[in-house]
Amino acid sequence: MLATQGPWRWLIQCQEYNVLPETLFDYPACLSACARGDQRALRQLYEQDSSRLLGVALRIVRDKALAEDIVHDAFIRIWRGAGSFDPGRGSARGWVFSVTRHLALNHVRNQHREVALGEEHEQLAADTVTFEFPARSGQMHTCLEQLDPARRTCILHAYVDGYSHSEIAQKLGTPLGTVKAWIKRSLTALRECMA
Amino acid sequence: MNETLDELASEYVLGTLPIEQRAEVERRLPHDAELRAAVDAWEQRLLPLTALAAPVPPSPLLWRRIERTLAPAARGVPWWNLLAVWRGLAGAGLLASLVLSALLLTRPPGAAPSFVVVLVAPQSQAPGWVIQASHNQQIQLIPLGVMEVPADKALQFWTKGDGWQGPVSLGLVKPGQTLSVPLDKLPPLTPNQLFELTLEAPSGSPTGKPTGPIQAIGRAVKVL
Repeated sequence: MLATQGPWRWLIQCQEYNVLPETLFDYPACLSACARGDQRALRQLYEQDSSRLLGVALRIVRDKALAEDIVHDAFIRIWRGAGSFDPGRGSARGWVFSVTRHLALNHVRNQHREVALGEEHEQLAADTVTFEFPARSGQMHTCLEQLDPARRTCILHAYVDGYSHSEIAQKLGTPLGTVKAWIKRSLTALRECMA
Repeated sequence: MNETLDELASEYVLGTLPIEQRAEVERRLPHDAELRAAVDAWEQRLLPLTALAAPVPPSPLLWRRIERTLAPAARGVPWWNLLAVWRGLAGAGLLASLVLSALLLTRPPGAAPSFVVVLVAPQSQAPGWVIQASHNQQIQLIPLGVMEVPADKALQFWTKGDGWQGPVSLGLVKPGQTLSVPLDKLPPLTPNQLFELTLEAPSGSPTGKPTGPIQAIGRAVKVL
């Protein structure tokens, strides 16, 4: 566990990676500049978020070179898709992260990783069993807290680590059907809590 | 709310859908507004969880790779698409024709039939030198530009007529310099006689025959 908790942790993280807090970076303006063909805007987005996007991809694909491939593909997709991004659909920042996450998820689902879970993976998974809640997650944090810890772990392993149902079942030693039901109900509970 | 649709959207965003269903969702997204709205809402709800993954600084090469992918034109342009190549070739061609016409115009009337050779680079066919011979015993080698020669090499000038055993050295040539070569030790010039410049050791080919790469090559043409 990091000694630094609370809002300060976020500030320290920003200083470490020399990026702006997300509230100060104008994501919609950045995307429209990309759509106009201004490569400097993409570079700014890269400086702002490449470390975080690489972190997100790395948790899912668990190989740095592969995660860099994913971030490379994501930036190409962001550049080419910036013109068709519809701000009415949600936050521009959210889109940038979604593009990257889904590329990583498609990669691991394509690999049928579940058949190849070895001891090395068990070790990796053991390292990530505790999740540190970011200070800023606000309502999301409150709603997650209301979930039973085992169910919360299912949601986090799925979202953050990109685990499939069967990987979670294997990891928690819980029957597959139970894991599927837990996830389904937890998602409904989260939706209602955050409504 | 359509519960089945929302469930599909939630597990798509969470990441737990098998690949076939993921592909199905991605196929439907562009033209299924209801599914899209459900997916967007779930992306917004779960986005704060991305902060659980610790940032990892990318290698310094990653941005360069992205830039390279974005500008494929900047990399690997085939030589025949380079403007400079065609400008150079056009310029050299023009120069060669000017030199040749000057040679034709200044040639004293009634002179004996003479020969002209244009030496071109074997790969690019760019003309590099012209040889004129106003009579059969003396030739002039005229550069059309300054050829780059590595510091530890020299250009050696060779000729070979039809039926000769092998090429005969006409001496070393400095790039950019006009050279007069007597041919008195050799048989008279004949049409189609080969001339070439090769890259050799500073003191010339050790074997007396061309050993290095050909820099320019051409055959004698009789002009009236």
